[in-house]
Amino acid sequence: MNWIEAHLLTVAIFLPMAGAVLIALLPRGEGGQHKGVAFIVSLLTFAASLPLWAGFHPSSKFAFEQRSEWAPSLGFSYHVGLDGVALLLFMLTTFLGPIVVLSSWKLIQDRVKIYCIALLVLETAMMGTLAALDLVLFYTFWEAMLIPMYLLIGMWGSERRIYAAVKFFLFTFIGSVLMLLAIFWLWSNSGAAGHRTFDYVELLAQGTLNPQTQKWLFAAFALAFAIKVPIWPLHTWLPDAHTEAPAAGSIILAGVMLKMGTFGFIRYAMPLFPQAALAHAPYLALFGVIGIVYGSLMCMAQTDMKRLVAYSSVAHLGFVMLGLSALTAEAVSGAVLQMVNHGISTGALFLLIGYLYERTHTRELSAYGGVARVAPAIAATFLVVTLSSIGLPGTNGFVGEFLILIGTFTSKELNGAVPLAVVGATGVILGAVYMLWMYQRVFLGKDGKTVAHGIADLSVREWFTVAPLLVAIVWIGFFPQPLLTAIKEPVDAFVQRVAHPQRQRADAIAPPSLQPAPSPAQDAPAPRLFMPQRAPLVRPSGEPR
Amino acid sequence: MTVFNPNDLYGILPALLLAVGALLVLTSEVFLKPASGLRPQLSGVEASSDLKPISVAADPEAAPDRRYQAWVAAAFAAAGLWAALSQLADPTLSLFSGAAVSDGFARLVAAVVCAALLLSCAVSYSYLESLRATRGEFYALALFSAAGMCLLAQATDLIVIFVSLEVMSLAIYALCAYLRRGKRPAEAAFKYFILGSFASAIFLYGAALAFGATGSTRIADIAAALRSSPAPGVSGLLSAAVALLASGFCFKVAAVPFHMWVPDVYDGAPAPVTGFMAAGVKAAAFAVLVRILVLGFGDANAALGPHGWGELIAWLAMLTMLVGNLLAIPQRSVKRMLAYSSIAHAGYLLVAVASMASSGSRADATEGLLFYLAAYGATVVGAFGVVAVIERKLALSGLGDDLSSWSGLAERHPGLAAAMSLFMISLAGVPPTAGFMAKLTVFRAAIEAGLTPLAIFGVLTSVAGLYYYLRVVVYVYMVPEAKPDAIQGGRLLSAGLAIAGCVLIVLWMGVQPGSFAALTQSAAAAFSR
Repeated sequence: MNWIEAHLLTVAIFLPMAGAVLIALLPRGEGGQHKGVAFIVSLLTFAASLPLWAGFHPSSKFAFEQRSEWAPSLGFSYHVGLDGVALLLFMLTTFLGPIVVLSSWKLIQDRVKIYCIALLVLETAMMGTLAALDLVLFYTFWEAMLIPMYLLIGMWGSERRIYAAVKFFLFTFIGSVLMLLAIFWLWSNSGAAGHRTFDYVELLAQGTLNPQTQKWLFAAFALAFAIKVPIWPLHTWLPDAHTEAPAAGSIILAGVMLKMGTFGFIRYAMPLFPQAALAHAPYLALFGVIGIVYGSLMCMAQTDMKRLVAYSSVAHLGFVMLGLSALTAEAVSGAVLQMVNHGISTGALFLLIGYLYERTHTRELSAYGGVARVAPAIAATFLVVTLSSIGLPGTNGFVGEFLILIGTFTSKELNGAVPLAVVGATGVILGAVYMLWMYQRVFLGKDGKTVAHGIADLSVREWFTVAPLLVAIVWIGFFPQPLLTAIKEPVDAFVQRVAHPQRQRADAIAPPSLQPAPSPAQDAPAPRLFMPQRAPLVRPSGEPR
Repeated sequence: MTVFNPNDLYGILPALLLAVGALLVLTSEVFLKPASGLRPQLSGVEASSDLKPISVAADPEAAPDRRYQAWVAAAFAAAGLWAALSQLADPTLSLFSGAAVSDGFARLVAAVVCAALLLSCAVSYSYLESLRATRGEFYALALFSAAGMCLLAQATDLIVIFVSLEVMSLAIYALCAYLRRGKRPAEAAFKYFILGSFASAIFLYGAALAFGATGSTRIADIAAALRSSPAPGVSGLLSAAVALLASGFCFKVAAVPFHMWVPDVYDGAPAPVTGFMAAGVKAAAFAVLVRILVLGFGDANAALGPHGWGELIAWLAMLTMLVGNLLAIPQRSVKRMLAYSSIAHAGYLLVAVASMASSGSRADATEGLLFYLAAYGATVVGAFGVVAVIERKLALSGLGDDLSSWSGLAERHPGLAAAMSLFMISLAGVPPTAGFMAKLTVFRAAIEAGLTPLAIFGVLTSVAGLYYYLRVVVYVYMVPEAKPDAIQGGRLLSAGLAIAGCVLIVLWMGVQPGSFAALTQSAAAAFSR
């Protein structure tokens, strides 16, 4: 047991992979068996990740850290660990895993074996990307995510699936290869020959590069992540991939994979190159805001449900980018929370749309109407998810967006923060417009067209997939504090490093040698939403600049 | 002159073993008796013009059973591999009074060549059997060419290089024309022979000029002459010599603009031969190219203009990566696509060669080159192994080598489909495969050498590469079968084993690159003086 405790993170990461190998050894054509194994393995993975959540103590160091030799002759190691931000996304990944398998139980009937293998390999790759602390390990997992997702879209998607799959792969790849070169550049300048490192923690501790170099390396990293997020105008692969992917693919894509882009910004692109990040934050924020408005407007023009939700992802992730580039503790916390929320809400939307599609084989809005009369359970759950996506208070969506906007309004680091926040806030209204509009067209009104399809209500299996998501929506909506506590340390360290480089914290991930003086912000509590008397939402004032 | 020293033979043990194997296969022909009805009659569905059975169908008893030759060849290839690997850590030996050398670099290249030969023999076995084209010379020629490749990697004298080059090339020319029926094999071999001879002549001319400029054909003596300040007026001669020598080998490695022969030859040669050629010839030719450039002209950069040969190679690399990748995009035949991809990969390897020009990054670049050669070799032998199996099956079903006939492979042969996809992904350089780690080592060395623009250009062309590699995966997995039951029948076992071996190597080098990288590290010591 001790071994398992010491290697818990590694066990969790590679458990799905082991399941995939097991499925590969099972005979072909036994679809039920394959799905069963995949479900049990993903459930086990979730179970294995629960001790990670329970045993996590917020600190400035990485938890569950493990470092062992991988290829010393090439200079990289197997180094994994989680901070609060990665942990949240890690939990989101394992949480969605069984739901995804269960949701496609009926829809996927052919080539089940490859399907299950792809899902499990994808889960391992996503968890590895989040946990990696070595740049080559990170890149390996990052690219390894592409292959199973490419297969999922290309093999089980709808009509234009091949186009969408290839576009998805090529877009992501073109950004990543430049990031790879930037990684090599970091390695090449990380010390004398023989003492170079790909290790994230060591690279971070080496202090910052000169600003001119930072600019180029930041550009390379930011491009890779911006494509993944996706930031306007690099988003064009997303509507295609989302629309053509099978429901499970869309859930994973929206739920976790897009977050890898924003996660990349908060973990790699911005802390590794803080001066360049600070200098370019206004541009990131601007593109984020354009994404919010553009995505929202595009949503209104869509006639395809999945495409609509895909564009809403562009808008929601625009919020995340706005929050990250505002560089205040509130905004960044909000951005991290919004990543999780978007994963749950949009994942749930794609799940329910998938169920509708399974019944009617159409995603056209005009083919629906009055579903609420025929299938009240679908309508009710969809309403909760819609409201969460809009950001109604009491649902998870509210907390994230609220913190982002508050944090942006009060940001002093971001030039033009107030106008950006004002324009961004319109996204909340536009979001309500297009989401409610969609809800009205699909679920309300006469049920003539819908009855023609003969829509059945949620089955027990489907309830099992929807219910956990609903619980999460409401739970995070009312009790976001545990999440905010978990991410407080990494968020503070992030803000410190990028926005206030002259006041490095002694205990932060940054090295003690750089700046030992502790800052007042160190003792500031995490933003608390529902206990304003203890800690105000605005950052502690009076800090010397 | 010193007398012949028998101990020197130990230094060329891998090549020696291969040559002995070849002679053994040839002599055994004398004792062959006609087989008595061992071969089953083939069932008559023969639609393709190129791939008809070659042996005399009317009288199967007349053809003796030559299947043992594959075993002999494989055994000697394995022995060569063992010899190369067991010598790997030995100290460097200078052989035949300086005409050849046995160092870590040459031994590792020899190991790559022998492994490629071993795997190709296994593929050839089932390929030739299903074509009923097992004739006496095939395995002997393959062994001879491999012996030439091993010697080429060891040679340190321009004359010895030329002789080994011809040993390798002549055998390969003949192998290309091995399937005598049809126009394409003949065209391939003829083109390869004419252009190859031309390239050899260019190389020879370069050797003569180098001799004129420095007074020696030994690489070490050339370097010494260049170090002791060459006479004025020699630099023009020297530049011409370097350009001509490099051109000769750029032809062999299929660098642009010496690539014209590649698609036709790769297409016309039997698929197992193409795989062996792509892996082995490339490894040997790159080995000798860097030996001449780095050890011979490494110090002559000053005499060769401001940037020396590094810049020449960098430009060639850029051109090769661009042209190879762009021309591969419109290809519909998998073999031709792989041919252009081989050109593109020559470009990536040239990036490593260009990075060897500056002494600071030389060790890293040498490791990168060796890793890349091995990774590319394993991948391409496997890919052509799959092509060999599929090609035969397609011919049986009357389908051509078009991509569309690969559709539905995942349904019929999930193992082959998965293997082919893995090879494609490895060629594209996506982790966790050998191809990714190879690109990592090479481009890292390029960044180290300060060739950042070249590296950026290289990775961007590899995106174009991804497009056409993915297209194979698209057809294999995503496009519904054009004709149900199109791909069927055929003997699989030995080719399947070889493909499985390649899959294991590709995955092993991708997931655990450290152990092979450690080998390249010690081998690269040959170039860091």
